[in-house]
Amino acid sequence: MATPQAGSLVTQLPLRLRNFFARYPPHIYSAAVRPPLPTPNLPAAAVSASATSPVQSSAAATVAATAGAPTTIPPNTNPKTTATEPSSSSSTPIADAIFESLPSPYTPNRDAKGYKPADRSASKALLWTPARHANPFLPRKVWTTTGRRWSGPKFGLRRQAELVKLAKKHGVEELLPPGPKSTEYKALRRAEQGLAIKGTGVGQKVKGHKWERTMETRLEVRRNAMLEMPEMVRLWKQRGHGRGWKQWPKRRQ
Amino acid sequence: MAKKSKSRTITVRLISMAMTGFYRTMVRPRAHRPLSMLKYDPVVKKQVLFLEATKGGRNR
Repeated sequence: MATPQAGSLVTQLPLRLRNFFARYPPHIYSAAVRPPLPTPNLPAAAVSASATSPVQSSAAATVAATAGAPTTIPPNTNPKTTATEPSSSSSTPIADAIFESLPSPYTPNRDAKGYKPADRSASKALLWTPARHANPFLPRKVWTTTGRRWSGPKFGLRRQAELVKLAKKHGVEELLPPGPKSTEYKALRRAEQGLAIKGTGVGQKVKGHKWERTMETRLEVRRNAMLEMPEMVRLWKQRGHGRGWKQWPKRRQ
Repeated sequence: MAKKSKSRTITVRLISMAMTGFYRTMVRPRAHRPLSMLKYDPVVKKQVLFLEATKGGRNR
């Protein structure tokens, strides 16, 4: 099934990426073969930003084919179709059922009181991968005899970022497993949370320090006082250098 | 026991009338009239009027 064209694509990749794909074959781990997820409360801007190009999708298919993988990618694996689901999908019973079936990598206590599947943000749902193929970009829960603990991701965030950068450069980002460094995830997070800096959003104001907020008023007061200063000095001199002065300032306690 | 007598002099604060918040502290006899003088205010970089600030009570 491996076409010469796809073969050449693989050989063009840097060794680091090839090694990664050999260890984590895209047909199992990549974001391209992720099952479809409804995206609740997803702004339209994020959808357009996170929608991947068809070139990348085709590249995913070809590399999956060259890796000697079963070429039957599930029919509904195109992230474009999954990402462009309207936000109303979260209310449908099918979407709820899908949400119920999803384990979350970051919200372990799904049985907590008041937990609703719709609480899962789109970005968190994006990171979900089947449990039997642990995503090397995500932490996972390890069961031991004494209980459970969290184990860190196989690839730390720095190495993830390097891989993503490299993959982006070669147009194969979609073949990487979903992770917090992916373009899609970052765009979703940005859409959900906005800029983290308080006051920089639309219609918001940076609070600033008190001296900054009151600066204008104080300068205005000072300017007026300086404008009246010659008259005040004249009056002060006229009244015997303060002998007949009545308006003494009050000292603030 | 006799009440502690007040000191002859008091420390007063002369506030810049340029409203810069700058002030000078001076010592004057308690019985003296309130101080007022033209002094340099480094905030506005000019000589301005400084008046003694009353502290609760009133100046004579």
